[in-house]
Amino acid sequence: MKLSNMLRRATALRSGVAALALAAATVAVAGPAHAATTLVETGSSLLYPLFNLWVPAFTASHPGVQITTTSTGSGAGIAQSIKGLVQIGASDAYMADALVHHNPNMLNVPLAISSQAINYNLPGLGNAHIKLSGPILAGIYSGKITMWNAPAIRAANPGVNLPAHKIIPIHRVDGSGDTFLFTQYLSRSTPSWAHSVAYGTTVSWPAVEGGIGANGNSGMVSAAAANPYSVAYIGVSYAAAAAKAGLGVAALKNAEGQYVLPNAETVGAAAASVVTVTPPDERISMIFAHGKNAYPIANYEYAIVNAKQADATTAASLRTFLNWAVTDGNAPQFLDQVHFLPLPDAIKTLSKTQIAKIK
Amino acid sequence: MKFRPFRLSLLSLSLLIPAALCAVILFLLIYSAPAIGFNGLGFVTGVTWNLGNLYGDPVTARGFTVPAGADYGILVFVTGTLVSSFLAILIALPLSVGAAIFLAEAVPPRLRPVLSLLVELVAVVPSVVFGLWGIAVLIPLIGHYVSPSGNGYGLLSSSIVLALMITPIIATTLLDALMRVPKENRESAFGLGATHFEVVTKAMMPMVRTTLIGGVVLALGRALGETMAVAMVSGGALNILPTSLFSPISTIASFILTQLDSAQSDPTNMAVRSLAEIALALFIITLGVNTGAKLLTSGALNVRKRQS
Amino acid sequence: MSASANLKPVTRPARSLHELRRTIISQIGWIACGLALLCVIGPLVDIVGVVAYHGLAAFSGKLFTATSNGVAGGLLNAIEGTFVVSLFGMLIAVPVGIGTGIYLSEYGSNRIGAVIRFLADVLTGTPSIVLGYFSYIVFVTSLGWGFSLLAAAITLAILIVPYLARITEMALRQVPVAMREAAFALGATEPTVVFKVVLPGAASGVVTGALLALAISVGETAPLIYTAGWSNFLWNGHFMNEPVGYLTYVIWTFIEQPNAQSHALAFAAAFLVMLVVLAINIGVRLILRRNTRIA
Repeated sequence: MKLSNMLRRATALRSGVAALALAAATVAVAGPAHAATTLVETGSSLLYPLFNLWVPAFTASHPGVQITTTSTGSGAGIAQSIKGLVQIGASDAYMADALVHHNPNMLNVPLAISSQAINYNLPGLGNAHIKLSGPILAGIYSGKITMWNAPAIRAANPGVNLPAHKIIPIHRVDGSGDTFLFTQYLSRSTPSWAHSVAYGTTVSWPAVEGGIGANGNSGMVSAAAANPYSVAYIGVSYAAAAAKAGLGVAALKNAEGQYVLPNAETVGAAAASVVTVTPPDERISMIFAHGKNAYPIANYEYAIVNAKQADATTAASLRTFLNWAVTDGNAPQFLDQVHFLPLPDAIKTLSKTQIAKIK
Repeated sequence: MKFRPFRLSLLSLSLLIPAALCAVILFLLIYSAPAIGFNGLGFVTGVTWNLGNLYGDPVTARGFTVPAGADYGILVFVTGTLVSSFLAILIALPLSVGAAIFLAEAVPPRLRPVLSLLVELVAVVPSVVFGLWGIAVLIPLIGHYVSPSGNGYGLLSSSIVLALMITPIIATTLLDALMRVPKENRESAFGLGATHFEVVTKAMMPMVRTTLIGGVVLALGRALGETMAVAMVSGGALNILPTSLFSPISTIASFILTQLDSAQSDPTNMAVRSLAEIALALFIITLGVNTGAKLLTSGALNVRKRQS
Repeated sequence: MSASANLKPVTRPARSLHELRRTIISQIGWIACGLALLCVIGPLVDIVGVVAYHGLAAFSGKLFTATSNGVAGGLLNAIEGTFVVSLFGMLIAVPVGIGTGIYLSEYGSNRIGAVIRFLADVLTGTPSIVLGYFSYIVFVTSLGWGFSLLAAAITLAILIVPYLARITEMALRQVPVAMREAAFALGATEPTVVFKVVLPGAASGVVTGALLALAISVGETAPLIYTAGWSNFLWNGHFMNEPVGYLTYVIWTFIEQPNAQSHALAFAAAFLVMLVVLAINIGVRLILRRNTRIA
């Protein structure tokens, strides 16, 4: 038995040494190979697909910068950027005034213009582009309108055979820029919603029987696809996935009373209404914008960055990437894939001015 | 007392465990103190978890600076945790007892090591892999065949996944206890003319009752703290109590996991501190349950000694 | 109802109705128990099967050579990250755990030992998300370490030290007291007795504990989400302010993405994790059985 003990000890010792050697080799390989700057981006799931298109293209022409992308929701993007855990917080929502007062060094830099669709899962009506309005959606998400063939919805959709079925409203449970955009649309179009729930990246959703919570835009797509008679607010960068899942796109009532679908024309009209009044800190909303053809849920996609970075090399890499994003990154080859619009030149200039502040 | 440097150095290493635990408890208590003060008793009875108006200016309420309209209530999560765990026990108990009895008495001795190994292996599957299987297999199954609304996420899926995770805990505890029942008890029951099944159910099971209860309580402790698998299949309910087996739920652990990021959008930090209060509550609950389990399983030893 | 009330002595092969009913109930009982065993083992077989089927389908050369890029690519960074995080977690936990185990078995039969044992059990029962929350607020944000290897390794270490301590203590207690007394009688000092007599005698038990702790580290997710963050690249040697990727993150997030490549990566990661966890656990139990049979 003593011999087997010694053998066991010997093998254990040998495997221990082997493990340590492997560890040392890993560190040795990993160490010097990565003298590059690392930037970490987290946040908006709406902006995530675009970042995943940008990073390989940027890294190809700028090999010294490594960028990690994650999708955690705009709330996390803002919070983690403020705390310095990441360099770029992607967010569909600009920072709140209170947060800006507490953190005066933070910059809200628009990178592109995006929009949000209201998708629904109605068997057979996928291409019908059901007409919905802010008050109707507020009613659905507060539980006041429960059936698809409710009078309000039928009134907006004459001639459409709406099913006599309960509506399943799907909302985001993570801190979401899409929630911000959607609830701001509801707040601006429906005073009762503005006074009860208001808007934000996280809101206290009214209790609706059968309402479902999902994580991220991808979770919204899966949940809507899995639940017939559901309605969900999904960012336009997931339009392809939503279409593949058979979800329809609603036509939304804008501030002028017109029902519009999200496309380059309508989103462009919404953006055009705020371009001239965008302040230097670029925190402005184009939700429920004025304009006969304006799509009511459009927004600037923000990179929330701290003007004071940990060191000069990180700051320089950050400036390079962000400047690239608002110029080369705004090319159709990237934006068309996610159905975003490029920034107007005036906004590009404002963004570049803010980016120059990063030290 | 002699100064023994070797023992003292070992003792100082050992004291790191109490130190770490104390650090965690002290941190939770201190960090959540403002939240405890603000939330009061309404914390446990409130159904809505409301972060308040994050885009408005913070106000002063009850002596604390919080966003306007902030109101933190965890009844939904406490309910979700308790109901899913108890349902899991309800499912797991008959399965574990049956499996343990079968393994102890009906399986040929050569097969027993292999089969009991398989039962033990269920316990080592990582929680996130259970969640993956839940999403890939269980949710579509329940959604298509069982759920009236076609939605597979919710209380039933969470309970089933939890049940599968805790079954090995009860089963191996019970199997161990059954194997230790003295031969005399079995043989005398056979001698009285009982069938094999009756020997097990009427002669052996009553003897291991306390150990079984201890195993169940231990399993309950595990189920209460389970995070990943439940987060992936529960449906993430907010502000609404579950009304049926197919309602979405949220458990305390899955809630902390998914809401920590969004709680940080609160500039006054009261939301994050309220999460600390929830974490403290979960810690206390699991501590109580696990201590109870330990008392029961160690108490069982005394019972057996007295009987033999 | 006492055990003897229902047991009628069987004196003749002829069966009364009552005995027939008891026999039928017993048979049904055995069948039900057999089904119960199937219900317990069945899901394990299904999980392993599903993970293996989809995971192996995702295998390609790229999986082990490329890093993940957003939602596609390979798993090299995740594999290396899991390895690095577990390694450093073990580096912290093994000395503390084994030291505690030695103390508890050799000198811990007093009240301090009882307290440490109780607190170790409390720590094992603590939900991992509570530890993750603690580490996030204290290490990642307040101390300013950011998403880092150090925060992740410390959190993992806190999680696995109690297991190491208890298993080491149990293994050391199996070594006969006589061996210690013989060593003392020969004039050995306490360190010599422990390191040259007791530990080698319990080597397989201690290594078992370490391997089981490793299996737990590889499968953990909740404590790492808020401490390690995520990185699309290999670890670059920084212990602070540098997030690290790991396999369980891939399982947790990539399955939620709406495309097939991400799902494939999630299953491949699950397969790798299960491979390590099952290999360690099966290996450990087989060796333990062989040891108990020999001894």
